[in-house]
Amino acid sequence: MNRLFLFIGCVLGLLCCDPVAAQETMSFRRASRTTLFGVGGARQQDTYLSPLNYRGLQLNFLFGTQRVTHLLDSCVTFQTLLQADFTSTTNAPEKATYLGGVVHFDAAWHYSFCGSAVVAPSALATAGGRSFRLLLGPQVGASFGGLYNTRNGNNPAQAIAEMHLSASAAFLWRFRLWKQPLVLSDQMDIPLIGMMFSPAYGQSYYEIFTLGNRDHNICLTTPFNAPTLRNQLAVDLPFRRCTLRLAYLADFRQSRTNEIRRHTYSHAFLIGWVRQLDILRPRPTPAPSH
Amino acid sequence: MLHNTTMRSLLSSLTFSVWGWVFFSLLITSCVKEAQFDNNPEGNLDALWTIIDEHYCFLDYKKETIGVDWNIMRARYRQRLSKSMTNAQLFEVLAAMLSELRDGHVNLYAAHDVGRNWSWYEDYPRNFSQELQDAYLGTDYKIASSLKYRILPDNIGYVVCSSFQTALGDGNISEVLSYLSTCNGLILDMRENSGGSLTYAELLAQRFTNERRLVGYIAHKTGRGHADFSKPEPEYIEPSLGIRWQKRAVVLTNRHCYSATNTFIRDVKGCPLVTVMGDQTGGGSGMPFNSELPNGWSVRFSACPMYDAQMNQIEFGIQPDIQMALSEADRARGIDTLIEAARTLLNK
Repeated sequence: MNRLFLFIGCVLGLLCCDPVAAQETMSFRRASRTTLFGVGGARQQDTYLSPLNYRGLQLNFLFGTQRVTHLLDSCVTFQTLLQADFTSTTNAPEKATYLGGVVHFDAAWHYSFCGSAVVAPSALATAGGRSFRLLLGPQVGASFGGLYNTRNGNNPAQAIAEMHLSASAAFLWRFRLWKQPLVLSDQMDIPLIGMMFSPAYGQSYYEIFTLGNRDHNICLTTPFNAPTLRNQLAVDLPFRRCTLRLAYLADFRQSRTNEIRRHTYSHAFLIGWVRQLDILRPRPTPAPSH
Repeated sequence: MLHNTTMRSLLSSLTFSVWGWVFFSLLITSCVKEAQFDNNPEGNLDALWTIIDEHYCFLDYKKETIGVDWNIMRARYRQRLSKSMTNAQLFEVLAAMLSELRDGHVNLYAAHDVGRNWSWYEDYPRNFSQELQDAYLGTDYKIASSLKYRILPDNIGYVVCSSFQTALGDGNISEVLSYLSTCNGLILDMRENSGGSLTYAELLAQRFTNERRLVGYIAHKTGRGHADFSKPEPEYIEPSLGIRWQKRAVVLTNRHCYSATNTFIRDVKGCPLVTVMGDQTGGGSGMPFNSELPNGWSVRFSACPMYDAQMNQIEFGIQPDIQMALSEADRARGIDTLIEAARTLLNK
């Protein structure tokens, strides 16, 4: 696989580069792409729509990328994560339904404390050296979506729009089980500060968007009024040219803004694959001194 | 050596996991939740009482005007509960408690019934006859969405708008006004229109003004207290960019004009060429929200109060410019008193 990318990279380089660029040397940048599909359960409450708890099914799709950067002697990885959640939940008497859809986009910079950075847990299996990595770093993210109640009138839905700065921590651990190399990883993200959209306590969307009346509709969020946690535990199993990933995602998102209480607690089991890439990029050669 | 490395990794993983569970535990203890009521007669009554107590927007106003003290309602109606009561009996008690508010926007919905207080029109003369209206419309009238219209023999345009529930577009209204443009005046019959979408009401009102007009105010609750309201924000009607009615118009009303129609009457009353004729409207100036009880019954209640341009409440209706009632003698002769009075006014 690496040779294939090297070959393609070289061909593209030869086709595209100019004579000056030809003086550049090539460098690898390790990257990985993760695709996961999940199914699980969700519990939801949004007092703007109903005081009752709703429970039901959640489907997830996650697509993530990770690559080693040149920062701090290549000890920093850059991670992006696109997570889409779709929920269908009902109240206890099963007389009303919430239909929800939210897309979360996060970007994180992780510093590796125990050895050089690796782009994917699977890479650790072949990286040699220490078998444990602890990663810490900041994360920025945003979420957009909505929650629709199938029988409400003038308060039929709640919009979800928020941005946050989080603390992100993860560990990777390589070990062997029945002679099979495995990598265990866990990543936890905790938003520390952010902003989110919220109607006022009894404000209608007609007033906000048709009449244009604003009333504290952008709210500051902190762990005190929006204690939120996302935790993903994963096991990677090398499988031919890919790596199979099995994961458990616990996602606890909640907020209390303008006296409106909201939460979505979800658990999901995920399955997918991780593909490791070696991206060939030109690196400028220092000019010779005379 | 390998063993030590493995042990260190294991310990590190465990340490990380412990911290994770510490965070998780802290999160669980700081859960953002709303108290849940039990699904039994007491729990459902308490849930309903709390929804109204925390969200209904006219509690202070109803206390002033009709003497409803919501604080004593829970104890009063709890006395009527028993553990062996049927669903129908519980529904009757809860609907009776809501009925105290005398609000057409306050309802309790169950599979077998709708709890309501429709005294806003049931306690008053109807001032309307469907047979008479049908006679004036004839059989060759035109239909543009929710608008039925024709030209009466004395060259007065007659438009019936019986609902704002059906989608009403600018194109529909322009076609109607274009067709009636050669008429000497316009009668807009809003009787029996119990509301619908505020957007459609506003689109129609925009055809009767040539300038931006302050028509009222709107507010919303900012907290659970009975007096927790936002600063009232002004509401304006902008003149339509389409065809606007430039001749005299009479808008006919009765007690069945409610909710969005009440707002429409507020918006057009005071327009220089518009005269509101008939009976006081039914009111309903609180924009309704929905909620629900532990047993799944749906509740509707007024959530956002709307006022007129002088910040007066219009929850119990708007007075017409000319009070007019449908006389029984006219009805017997096949004449609609209100339509005839409007024709006389427009032909002067």
